[in-house]
Amino acid sequence: MKSNEESLRGLMQLAQKGDKAAYSTLLTEAGRWLSRFYAQKIAAHEIDDLVQDTLMSVHRKLSSYDPSRPFLPWLAAIARFRWVDRLRKTYKHEASALDFDVAEDGHEDVVGAKISIDRLLGQLPENQAEVIRLTKIEGHSVSETCARTGQSESLVKVNVHRGLKKLSALIESE
Amino acid sequence: MKANKQMTERSFNIDALVEDLAPVKPIKAMPTLLTLAAIAVVALFAISFMRDFRTDLLTGQPTAMFLMRAGMLALLGGATAFSVLAMAQPSVGKHNNSWQIAVAFAALFPLGGIIAIMTGDNTLAIASMASVYRCLGFSAITAFATAIPMVMSLRRGAPTNPERAGWLTGVAAGGMGAFAYSFYCPFDSLAYTGVWFTLSVAISAVAGRLIVPSLIRW
Repeated sequence: MKSNEESLRGLMQLAQKGDKAAYSTLLTEAGRWLSRFYAQKIAAHEIDDLVQDTLMSVHRKLSSYDPSRPFLPWLAAIARFRWVDRLRKTYKHEASALDFDVAEDGHEDVVGAKISIDRLLGQLPENQAEVIRLTKIEGHSVSETCARTGQSESLVKVNVHRGLKKLSALIESE
Repeated sequence: MKANKQMTERSFNIDALVEDLAPVKPIKAMPTLLTLAAIAVVALFAISFMRDFRTDLLTGQPTAMFLMRAGMLALLGGATAFSVLAMAQPSVGKHNNSWQIAVAFAALFPLGGIIAIMTGDNTLAIASMASVYRCLGFSAITAFATAIPMVMSLRRGAPTNPERAGWLTGVAAGGMGAFAYSFYCPFDSLAYTGVWFTLSVAISAVAGRLIVPSLIRW
């Protein structure tokens, strides 16, 4: 079953009242939606872990959902926050470990489009977007990126560093 | 095999979360806004009883500067507090920018204050440092009191931009603190308002940015 806004919203309203059956269905559907959402944004092997983190956050922050508003934008806001959090932690420990995989079976809906990686990269300076795309999305090494862009190794690293920092700020301000 | 293992782990996780489910009440902004208004009113009566009410208020003929200043600070505090409380309920694509309009209007006071000083307003020279400390101190105490309900609401909610939430909590609290003090403040000059009231809000904003994010991370 493909999640849809109206049914998820109804399930969430029941879950806020303590309906466990509705909550179980909601979390299962939300988990599927999140897997598709993150498929465009992080490495495949990290998706399940991040989905679980996000579901835990959803559970802890149930009262922050306003039942008079749509459900998916709320879920997307929680998901984006957890994603940025992961981005920051990885970036703090080892910027080079960050990995954005291109989804083979991407699910692009209205909410997803608002925070698609391409649109976000379009808001970065060209030299930063280019090195992030080459190193983090296409998987080229720093030396290959140097050869392709004509930038020095240290400049590539600086641009990746600055670009990722700006990227997290952009994601938060969306 | 790995996918099956992951699915099992996730199912187990979901079962545990479902088992832990308890009914929750969705966060509402209005009770917190009313609490903030009550704190500001109590604070303005407290300072006025401790010191003295402005004579223009006692005679029922408030000055134009008092009305403009109090109105602007109420707008700044109220609109920004509303934005802060909206941040507790996140949503992609939902923007509450009422604080930007309030801050833009409030910025007219420091600008006006600078112009007033340059054109000969000497209130700053006349005002004693004791009155300045009273202004900053009382505003800060009230700001602290109003920040508490906002931080509690943010902690209960899910703010997705803790730094901005910190700034705005500080601006809202500072605006309400200065609003309460304005009912006592004996100075009506644009120079005094533009400098000391602005400084009071600015200090609160910086304190909010430094203190609040660590309190509301989740």
